[in-house]
Amino acid sequence: MASSASSIDTSPARIQKGVAPLRAGQGYSFLLRRLHSLSGIVPIGAFLVEHFISNSEAVNGVQAYNDQVKFLTSLPFVHVLEWVFIFIPILFHALYGIYIWYRGESNVGEYPWTGNWLYTSQRWTGIIAFIYIVYHTYNMRFTGVHLMGGGYQYAFSKVWFDFQSPWTVAFYVVGIVAASWHFSYGVWLFAAKWGLTVGANARRKFGFVCAGLAVLLVGIGLWTITGFTRTPADQVPWVEHD
Amino acid sequence: MANSKTVIIKIKRQQTPESKPYSEEFELTYRPGMNITSALMDIAASPVTRQGKVTTPVAYDSNCLEEVCGSCAMLINGQAKMACSALIDNLKQPITLEPFSKFPIIRDLQVDRSVLFENLKKVKGWVPVDGTYDLGPGPRQSAEEQEQAYPLSRCISCCCCMEACPQFNEKTGFVGAAAISQVRLFNTHPTGKALKVDRLQALMGDGGIQECGYAQNCVEVCPKDIPLTRSIADVGGQVMWQAIKDFFRT
Repeated sequence: MASSASSIDTSPARIQKGVAPLRAGQGYSFLLRRLHSLSGIVPIGAFLVEHFISNSEAVNGVQAYNDQVKFLTSLPFVHVLEWVFIFIPILFHALYGIYIWYRGESNVGEYPWTGNWLYTSQRWTGIIAFIYIVYHTYNMRFTGVHLMGGGYQYAFSKVWFDFQSPWTVAFYVVGIVAASWHFSYGVWLFAAKWGLTVGANARRKFGFVCAGLAVLLVGIGLWTITGFTRTPADQVPWVEHD
Repeated sequence: MANSKTVIIKIKRQQTPESKPYSEEFELTYRPGMNITSALMDIAASPVTRQGKVTTPVAYDSNCLEEVCGSCAMLINGQAKMACSALIDNLKQPITLEPFSKFPIIRDLQVDRSVLFENLKKVKGWVPVDGTYDLGPGPRQSAEEQEQAYPLSRCISCCCCMEACPQFNEKTGFVGAAAISQVRLFNTHPTGKALKVDRLQALMGDGGIQECGYAQNCVEVCPKDIPLTRSIADVGGQVMWQAIKDFFRT
């Protein structure tokens, strides 16, 4: 049917605006998004859990903590391990995560519902945890006494001296809560998006499991902090400055 | 008349797809059981603003008036809803009406929702039975399959799920929950599943299922109570298995 040449053409087919249709068979965003999702569980999530457990040795005193650091820093290929399984995955997860955040349009004002709040919280806890991780890694890994190659005996001292400032302790609490929340809700999202928890009931029940995981991680984190804050100064080896 | 109850409605209007939007306020006589569509009909019958200015009737889409055609979706007090089933009694006044914000405006409350039709074509949202001869009766569906499929078949293409989705926007070009749910429907259909692989591979493209952020607004706003988050989880698993098969077995 030929269209008539009228003065006003309101045919909707001419409107070339709005959200583009699906680009079937195009691009790599599926691979990148799924890698982003997976990298949050393995290796980042697995490292997070290991890091919480290892650091909780602080409650067993200076020697136990330093021994744990000695074990970890003496792992074979430790530099390869930290770059391949920690630094590179965290950088990818964080930078691609910021890109995901930029592409979403949070609307909790219009639709103030639990799932929508959690969607927004996942973005904010992610950026808070990343800022904390950058500070924490710069401070603990790239500056001060190097804990690798014999520096492990100052591991407890390094954290202990940092914790003399209540602001640092407060920042650690914020970082622990943000990372625990982001990881635990990330596990829930992973299960939902990868089709592991398909039914509404399964998602609800797994929600309780993930909330429990978050509480557990925060608990371990705060308990670990008390391991440092309760240790008196005379038990802490003095860091020698050259 | 002065003592009778009235309804105040503020409407965001726009004369043409490109012109500037403006707002007009109307005051209508309250009648029991009124809904947004009937209020818009009242305005059309007497298009005079609250300030007494004679204006044009407000353009809006509607058809069935019973929440099955999907045409009258709009933003009612800021949320995606069907105008025909939005009862005035349940709405906070003054009521604001706006066109959907993520679809091209045609005029006033009318928007172009053809992106959903395009998406349904991309995911092959149909049962392939066209041919040059009679294919005979299809396989029977079990009662369990029917119970799973029926809620999904209730989709009315209103696009509320897409409008409310934080991931559905021009940056992502996300396909939206409705089309993903139709993939689940047709992948469970005994004849429709002939196109299962095509549908799952389509959903791996840019703007595909991976853009879902699981904010779950879709399932909250859906006027037909379709289990959309279940569909996304189910199809998400199907797409993942398909991706693994494609990667390791081709």
